[in-house]
Amino acid sequence: MRLSSNMSLLGNASITLRLTLLFVLASSAVLLALGLVIASSVEKHFEEQDMEVLTGKMALTRHTLAQLNSIDDLAHITHMMDNSLVGHHGLEVLVLNPQHQVIFATPNAGFAINVVAASAAKGPSFPALWLLGALSYRGIAAELPTGLYGGSNVIVAVATDIAHHQAFMRAFRQTLWLFVAGAAIVSGVLGWVAARRGLAPLRTMREQTQAVTAQQLSHRLSVESVPTELAELAQSLNEMLARLEEAFLRLSDFSSDIAHELRTPVSNLMTQTQVALSKARDADAYRSILESNAEEYERMARMIADMLLLAKADNGLVVPHRERLQLATEVQALFDYYEAVADEKGLHLTLQGDAEVHADRLMMRRALGNLLSNAVRHAMPGTTVSVRMAAREDAVTIEMVNTGDTIAPEHLERVFDRFFRSDPSRQRGSDGTGLGLAITKSIVAAHGGDIHATSGNGVTTFTLQLPLAN
Amino acid sequence: MKILIVEDEPKTGDYLKQGLMEAGFSVDLLRDGVDGLHHALTESFDLAILDVMLPGLDGWGILRGIRRAGKDMPVLFLTARDAVDDRVKGLELGADDYLVKPFAFSELLARVRTLLRRGAKTTGAELLRVADLELDLLRRRVTRAGKRIDLTAKEFALLELLLRRQGEVLPRSLIASQVWDMNFDSDTNVIEVAMRRLRAKVDDSFEPKLIRTVRGMGYVLENPL
Repeated sequence: MRLSSNMSLLGNASITLRLTLLFVLASSAVLLALGLVIASSVEKHFEEQDMEVLTGKMALTRHTLAQLNSIDDLAHITHMMDNSLVGHHGLEVLVLNPQHQVIFATPNAGFAINVVAASAAKGPSFPALWLLGALSYRGIAAELPTGLYGGSNVIVAVATDIAHHQAFMRAFRQTLWLFVAGAAIVSGVLGWVAARRGLAPLRTMREQTQAVTAQQLSHRLSVESVPTELAELAQSLNEMLARLEEAFLRLSDFSSDIAHELRTPVSNLMTQTQVALSKARDADAYRSILESNAEEYERMARMIADMLLLAKADNGLVVPHRERLQLATEVQALFDYYEAVADEKGLHLTLQGDAEVHADRLMMRRALGNLLSNAVRHAMPGTTVSVRMAAREDAVTIEMVNTGDTIAPEHLERVFDRFFRSDPSRQRGSDGTGLGLAITKSIVAAHGGDIHATSGNGVTTFTLQLPLAN
Repeated sequence: MKILIVEDEPKTGDYLKQGLMEAGFSVDLLRDGVDGLHHALTESFDLAILDVMLPGLDGWGILRGIRRAGKDMPVLFLTARDAVDDRVKGLELGADDYLVKPFAFSELLARVRTLLRRGAKTTGAELLRVADLELDLLRRRVTRAGKRIDLTAKEFALLELLLRRQGEVLPRSLIASQVWDMNFDSDTNVIEVAMRRLRAKVDDSFEPKLIRTVRGMGYVLENPL
């Protein structure tokens, strides 16, 4: 399984880095937007202030110009205008006659005529920015009526120096940028600290998982000490560990069992052969040793075949060839097979009921055969081994019952384990690899069924459930 | 009867050859797939035993070559891998039998004889006999030295098998498969007990003893005289 993290621009950068960058970006964006809003409203405020002054002055000028009725009055214009401009530092006024000739100008009002005329055409409510050397002016222009020039309008421009406003805005922007940059750095650092602290439980979990090794699979993550978001993850990891531990233990038990089970026959073979070779013997003696070896080899070969089958079962045993089986027929065939052995022990084999399943014949015979063989081996002489079958609506139940020693409850679960012996001191006979019931369980599982054992008062029952043939 | 063995594992090849020669067959052993196919096509054999994994050309390839050349001699495969796919593939290609290593030599021998017999006509004998033991197939009756012996159905089938293949050592697995149709290695001494009971009826109160246990291999019925 691979996590697809390459969708993101950051690739597989650490979460801490991602969070830090996100903090920086978010705080910078917010502060920047705030700064821009403030800057623009300050500027707007300045503009409104200027406009107030300018429109006031324009009204004054209109009033003054309205008093001009003859060309003689033009001589007074400077005087009249100067009067109305008293107390307004930095305010410049320019008046043009209809021919765009300057009829009045304050000392610094050297604005370009065409710019002023264009502005006047738009009207007095649209302020414009006029440059005069190094100075900036905000100005408005209007066409105003007078009594002169036969009723033609004159052009009046009023402008105010805004250098101090601009200086203020420059300083303000500079501060703003510095502040945003500083805030970005600070929020980055804070974000980094917060992310580190927030992710600390993850690091703890990592350290805990690092402690898990093949030898220490019993180690678990503490679910209580992690935040709720991670508790579920820790819980899942713990469950995974439990499954792994179980499988691992079973596997390592199995390998040590294999080693142990093979050691006995190999050691027998080795001793026997070496003793045989230690001095000259007659042909019969050699024959006897070889015969005994052959038996031992056969047993080992059978064990290897069984173990291979189980190894395959661990990877999901395939049911090679399913067909409809009448279980009673199969069990009867097995009864025929075990008849002689049962008879020797004075056992009675009985069969009740019948059921149909959809299964592989060879595998099913093997599974039931192992069960029957087990029942016959552990039955008390003179008793009855009975097989009962019934088809319910959802499953087929097969019960194999024998009378003999009661299996201790703690052993019941383990009878299906490989190489399990309820009595460890008991040596296995020449027959049996100790894998029979394990194989039965694997085969039943491969057919989608289930098997369990119960035992009490000397009666042991193996109950096998298989899906109905559909 | 002439048998071709193609097997690259030196020890296995040598022992197979020795064993089969001592069982009365004439054997050619080749250790390489290409040589094996060439030999199979240029000489005449009654049966071929092929390993699956071979240098040059694998067992499947040899089988394909043999069948393409129109030869229908029985082919028995030996393999270390017990994969169902392999088995199916072998049978689809026209293999006649399949043995997984490690196998018992007695098992191989029994299967070789079964395959060789398949081609021959089955003896339509109604009476099988060795020494003074007689088995009447039609009347389902067994007598020894003229005395009637009562056998169960399975004991009758067992004795019939032993008689039909007298002189051959029959491994337990073959007996279980032929008499009871149990094609898996059972983990009990079922065959031993059945054989002991049969001997009690057929051999115990008579001379000479006809059924013999060959330790580590199986059982054989033959007239020791």
